[in-house]
Amino acid sequence: MPDLRPYLVLGLALGGVFALSGVGMVVLYRATGVLNLAYGAVGAIGALIAWSLINTLLLPEWVAYLVAILFGGVVTLVYGTLFGPPLAQREPLVKAVGTLGFALILLGTMSWVWSYQAHSLILPTTQVGFQMGQVRVNLTQMIGLGLGIAITAATAAFLRFTRLGVAMRSLANHRETTAMLGVPVRRVEAAAWLTSGLLSGATGLLLSTLVGLDIVGLTFLVIAALSAALIGRLQSLWATMVAGLAIGVVQACLTPFDAISPYRTMTPFLFAIAALLWFGIAGRGLSRA
Amino acid sequence: MSLADESGPAVAAAIPRARAWVERVGSIRSVAFAVVLGIVVLALPALVSTFWLQIATSVAIYSIVALGLALLIGRVGLISLNQIALLAVGGWIALRLGFGTSLPYPLLLLATGVITGVIGTLIGLPALRLSGLYLALITLMAAAAITLALQATNFPNGGSGFLGYSGTAAGSVAASLRRPALLESNTAFYLGVVGVTALMFLLAALHVWGKAGRAWAAIRQSQPAAIAAGVNVTLYKLWAFALASFMTGIAGGLLASSAGGLTTYGFPTQDSITLLAVVLMGGIYSFWGPIVAALLLKLLPELLKNWGLPPDLLTILFGIGVLQVMLTAPAGLVVQVPRDFANLGRMVARRFSGAAEQAE
Repeated sequence: MPDLRPYLVLGLALGGVFALSGVGMVVLYRATGVLNLAYGAVGAIGALIAWSLINTLLLPEWVAYLVAILFGGVVTLVYGTLFGPPLAQREPLVKAVGTLGFALILLGTMSWVWSYQAHSLILPTTQVGFQMGQVRVNLTQMIGLGLGIAITAATAAFLRFTRLGVAMRSLANHRETTAMLGVPVRRVEAAAWLTSGLLSGATGLLLSTLVGLDIVGLTFLVIAALSAALIGRLQSLWATMVAGLAIGVVQACLTPFDAISPYRTMTPFLFAIAALLWFGIAGRGLSRA
Repeated sequence: MSLADESGPAVAAAIPRARAWVERVGSIRSVAFAVVLGIVVLALPALVSTFWLQIATSVAIYSIVALGLALLIGRVGLISLNQIALLAVGGWIALRLGFGTSLPYPLLLLATGVITGVIGTLIGLPALRLSGLYLALITLMAAAAITLALQATNFPNGGSGFLGYSGTAAGSVAASLRRPALLESNTAFYLGVVGVTALMFLLAALHVWGKAGRAWAAIRQSQPAAIAAGVNVTLYKLWAFALASFMTGIAGGLLASSAGGLTTYGFPTQDSITLLAVVLMGGIYSFWGPIVAALLLKLLPELLKNWGLPPDLLTILFGIGVLQVMLTAPAGLVVQVPRDFANLGRMVARRFSGAAEQAE
């Protein structure tokens, strides 16, 4: 039995980021009914912009990171403002396919501007770390896990206790009725798009440090987050978080086993299939889908 | 592409039957198009170089894949995002059968199709009872999982064991399926592929015009109404899924025997999304749609490369295309473009007649 502790640290950090992105997707889905499949692509393009700002324009790093996160928020908000309202009355599947179009536009732009060559972006927090037993833990990993949990808690509290949060929840229940009650629907939706976009920007930066800055890899890491969101039935923030952490940990802990190591990236898929079978057998309804 | 090939003898044999067939197809114009297309397709080997003939072969193969997806979306309203991954699965199975058995080529293709059909259906099975969104998500995850697994296992190249991959032979033996003696040359293989494509379109047409098509139409319009009318909704959804996967498997087998064989990097997850984009752009209700989709997917990038433009532009264009289809043109280019041109023509005619009246 190999020593799994280093992989556990890695997995918790990765799982925290999966949880973070899963929560970002669930929040947007609950407020607008849009499952944003371009989530990973937005994060990737943000990270690439940060890379360019640091390496070609020689800006200070913190400016670049701030720009990357803001860019994620703005570009998602622009998509939401342009294509959210016209598709609002359509079924969730159509809205999700629309975001696939968005993802293709971003993917094409990225490979055109930055090409598929490998870039590297290491957050300064990676150099800071401490020894925990025999395992070294760096600050980026701590941020990954911490942010995952913190954002889940903050979002849950936000949806429960603030006016905007309550408005988002009521939007999720019935858009027309909510509008009739005087909630500024477009503005609430815009807030959801912006928040989700900012989260995807942050996710992109963290993942490009933890996993590597690679266009296709980052874009499709969204799949692990999707799996977490699906296990949370696109509804429960806490279930999404736990699922995200579990996927991250299992995936990382399979690394030292040579026979199954190459297949470990199938973990999200297997988790999702298991969840769907469980939902099917337990016969529980799935919300708004 | 091939509807005319099948209709040729029918027209000569029995005029009333042909008339009924023409009515089914919709209009004489479609038939004329099909005839012209058939002639162009058959004359192609004499007109173009080997390179473009290979492109034409892959256009035909991908039109089968596009046809499967178009059937799923247009007839049953299901969206699958793992069709390109299934194509790779089909290729893998065909190669494995090709190296492991001595089945004759047509049987080998058929077996590949059936096995791929079963695998594709198994992937979709847990989600089919839930909504379309869950099916789309599960298939997207399956696509990613299959792509990654494939990079770990590689395509069989005659090695031993279940996976049939030998690292030592990898340099010398391409993962390529033997062609039957009859289809050895590139031209013969191209014509063979066109023939299989024609059969697949015929199979799809028979489904759409038959009992399955009526059941699918009922499900698409209202699932509760279909259940009330006694349609076995789960069975027909599964059947559509199995049919699309079957076709994709056949296409995978053909792809495995085309020039150059298969590489594990030829089937990225992104391509399944791109396929969805071109199928939506081409149009999902007409049999012309998948052909347009395959041309967009396989011919256009080569043309762009030829003109020195970056093919990444296409990805952006396809993304815009998806949004445009979702917002304004649900029936795709095949319906939209002729309608737009007709509108434009009418507008121009009105302008001119207006100008003429004013001049008088």
